[in-house]
Amino acid sequence: MISSLLALSIAGSSLAYPVARRLGRWAGWGMALLPAALFVAFLGYAPASSAGIVATDSLAWVPSIGIDFSFRLDGFSFLFCLLITGIGTLVVIYSGAYFSDATDRERARFITLILLFMTAMLGAVLADNLIVLYLFWEATSILSFLLIGFDAASAHARRSALMSLRVTVGGGLALLAAIILTGATLGTFSLTEVSARAPELAASAWAPAIAGGLMIGAFAKSAQFPLHFWLPNAMQAPTPASAYLHSATMVKLGIYLLARFEPFFGYLPRGREVLLAVALVTMLVGAFQALRAENFKSVLAYSTVASLGILVMLVALDGPMATVAMMGFIVAHALYKATLFFVAGSVQHATGLSKLRLMGGLGRYLPVTAVAAALASLSMAGLPPFLGFISKEFLFEAQIQSTTDAIPMAVAVLVNAVIVGVAGVVTLRPFFLGRDREIEVRHGERLGLIVGPIILATLGLVISLDPGWMNASVFGPAVAAVYGTTVDVTAAMPHGLSPVLLLSGVVLGIGALIFVFWRPIHRRLRVQLWLDSYDAESAYEALLRRIDDLSLKVARTVQHGDLRGYLWTVMAAAVALAGWGMIASGVLPRIPTAEEMGVVRLGPALMALVGLAGGLAAARARGLIGAMLAVGLAGLITALMFMVNGAPDLALTQFSVESLTVVLLTVALLTLPLAGHITRSAGERKRDMALAAAMSAVLFVALMDMGSSTPVTEVSAFYGERSYIEAFGRNVVNVILVDFRGLDTLGEITVIAASSVLVWSLLGPQSRAEGQTPIASGRSAFIFRFTSPLFFWPLLVLSVITLFRGHNAIGGGFVGGLTAALAFAVVSLSHGIEQTRRRLRIHPALLVGGGLTLSIASGLPGMLVHGTYLTHVWFETSVLGFTIKQGTATLFDMGVYLVVLGAVLSYLFGFQREAAR
Amino acid sequence: MTVVYALLGAGLFGCGVFMLLSRNMVRMLLGLSLLTTSVNVMIFQTGRFRSQLPPIIPEGSEQLVNSADPVPQALILTAIVIGFALTVILMALALRVHGSHESVVTSEVRSAESLGDPILPEKTT
Repeated sequence: MISSLLALSIAGSSLAYPVARRLGRWAGWGMALLPAALFVAFLGYAPASSAGIVATDSLAWVPSIGIDFSFRLDGFSFLFCLLITGIGTLVVIYSGAYFSDATDRERARFITLILLFMTAMLGAVLADNLIVLYLFWEATSILSFLLIGFDAASAHARRSALMSLRVTVGGGLALLAAIILTGATLGTFSLTEVSARAPELAASAWAPAIAGGLMIGAFAKSAQFPLHFWLPNAMQAPTPASAYLHSATMVKLGIYLLARFEPFFGYLPRGREVLLAVALVTMLVGAFQALRAENFKSVLAYSTVASLGILVMLVALDGPMATVAMMGFIVAHALYKATLFFVAGSVQHATGLSKLRLMGGLGRYLPVTAVAAALASLSMAGLPPFLGFISKEFLFEAQIQSTTDAIPMAVAVLVNAVIVGVAGVVTLRPFFLGRDREIEVRHGERLGLIVGPIILATLGLVISLDPGWMNASVFGPAVAAVYGTTVDVTAAMPHGLSPVLLLSGVVLGIGALIFVFWRPIHRRLRVQLWLDSYDAESAYEALLRRIDDLSLKVARTVQHGDLRGYLWTVMAAAVALAGWGMIASGVLPRIPTAEEMGVVRLGPALMALVGLAGGLAAARARGLIGAMLAVGLAGLITALMFMVNGAPDLALTQFSVESLTVVLLTVALLTLPLAGHITRSAGERKRDMALAAAMSAVLFVALMDMGSSTPVTEVSAFYGERSYIEAFGRNVVNVILVDFRGLDTLGEITVIAASSVLVWSLLGPQSRAEGQTPIASGRSAFIFRFTSPLFFWPLLVLSVITLFRGHNAIGGGFVGGLTAALAFAVVSLSHGIEQTRRRLRIHPALLVGGGLTLSIASGLPGMLVHGTYLTHVWFETSVLGFTIKQGTATLFDMGVYLVVLGAVLSYLFGFQREAAR
Repeated sequence: MTVVYALLGAGLFGCGVFMLLSRNMVRMLLGLSLLTTSVNVMIFQTGRFRSQLPPIIPEGSEQLVNSADPVPQALILTAIVIGFALTVILMALALRVHGSHESVVTSEVRSAESLGDPILPEKTT
């Protein structure tokens, strides 16, 4: 049932925007139906609440780690739900009127945010699972951010919004850490169970960390010193949001959390003392700054900080009276402070004024607002018979009954006196004094603007005059839920002449003096500007600047601009990770047995050593030509290695590629400085050598380990069995390339095609004119010119044969294309580009494009016949009595041939063109 | 032979890394070329050296018996060609850089730095 109410709230607030826009000026009254309905629904729980029944509800979410949407409605949650939905209703009504001059969009956006916030708030106070509570908690922070920054065009609003987000969400992270630690310690995220097992939690090793996280989260949310500074800045929010979030509900969420964990803090050594110390400092800072503040809303904000301090103090105090006083004060404060915010909003709406000292005599123009302000202020000042009076009586009673010494009492008297002064200043001054002031009033009172304040202000009187229902259904159960046992609230009320009444009298006396001397006090304190440089806000600003500086330094260190440094870091990290993995696994690398090693054949072994020597020579070579030739040597040896180990296809491909690489790079090096002077210091070379050696060592160990593992042969066996039967090819490597994994090969020749386009765009003709002028060819040796046809034709014929026999014997499109490219390279080097192009007749790019098209198209017949792309179709023809079996696979391989040939030729022409420039 | 070829693969890799860490772009691309070769040698070893016969189904037979592993070969065959294309592209880039900067040393090519501080760009007001 609870979850369906919450679901209603989620659905309603999510759909609110379009509805509120349609409603236009009536959005306030219309949208208030949602919170009003929820309020009535929650009221239905009153009988259960007074009977002490706790309603629970649960939906599974991630049961495996103990996270569920579990909710519970006990007295304390009930109190909050009534405040949230009740004040929510009035806030929505008020917003509709407050935004009377705004566009429909703006009004709808504001009301939607308010309703979403209400939902998040309900979720937070109903959640029994701490993770769920955290989610709703952070949702309220984010909505608070959006509401403070509602006027996004204002830099002030944006700054304040970001500040509140950083502080409250940052605190939220601390809370999350505490929640996770709690879950890890107790094995549950259930708030009920955690409260029940508070002694166990307090005795655990993690207790100080958990307490710290909870406190930081709660202090950030409830604006406790030194995290209080975001709250006065949050007054940038439109006033209805300030009334709702920043006085009545959201800022009390921290109190809610602390109260829920009160037993835990009680069992923790010094837990109560820390809470009390923070609370007292917060009270003093709030009261002091309230005396200095100029704006109506700022004065209210600082007095809210002081009030929140009082609430934390009540959490810290032991004894049942403290809990009773806390419940009374939460309700009393919500009622009178929300009213006063409404009043401040109405005054600003009507006059456009925000500074208190400019206001006066407004009672003539805003009579109902003035009455509401007066009622709320009387409650705030704690005069009988208002609710504020009763809650203050409880407060002092709690202090007398608790075991703490006299300091909290003295602070409480002082701070309460300031609150009395504030109550007088914010009501008497703007409304009833200074009647001689001329003030332009642009808007009169409208029903929407007065419903909220007058109802809340009246409630502050009604509840105290007839407390029966509240005591039985709200205060009593709430106290029972937090304190653990039932306390007779009605009987606990202080009567007659008592020390408590005396304290109230003292508070009123000092408060009256503060009110009378408000102006000189305010001026004296106001001019002490040096105070501003010592407050928490400037520490916050300094911290942000430090973070900026630090990230700048980090960015400059990491982004140093030396490519070699980046590469070194990446490779060193790779070696370190791989090496660490090997060592940390604790498993020694295996060494192949003699059988797995295989017989060492002398010839191949010597060849391998020569290849290694080639690599080392390349690394040591001073000149670039030498390095290139040494790399080529290593490549050729690799080709031989393929040759003697049953991979003739690879050997042929590698041979052709090495030849072409040498040809192309030689052409390119014609234009480059060959000296290749030393670019690394001796120290850098040493470090690089060490890194390279470490990489080699790690890889060597890995390769040895791999050599002693059982090879996986299933895939190879599959291809070996099916190659001829299904794809009619005897060369299994070629069949894999053109048929089984044809799509992969298609991807690879696409890459090669793209590379040819890239090289052509880098090195091709840079202008139309350049494209039309022939390229001068350098002189080449006569003997080379004379003998080149002897190479060209045999190579070309060989390439075509290689291509067509590739499906059944050694060869294929890749090798064929490379061989053909070699044939043209010979001509191009001996006779120049122009003659080669004449012989080729078409542009190399056309070869690439045509080849790619052919390969792509070769898969289409298979799609028509077999329904799968690139499954090749075969047909037999009889020519002169010979049966020739042909298939689309041959077309595919021809495409590969053309792409490779065209790509290599565009490289070659590009490099030769560059050399001739 | 496992030891010998492991030595070849790992050794060539180290040489490639050493060259790649140079500041001369041509040396870097030669190093990268060496690196591709060494990786191919390593992939080849995943098929072991169980036979020296090529993976070609003999006439009269329908299935492959007792030959070298065809799968690594298919992988390497395309890798060789792609590695070649990569080397060529890098060479083309080096040629372009030389054409515009008269240098192929990375620390001397500073046209990006001359655009200004990448971290704190000048405010355009």
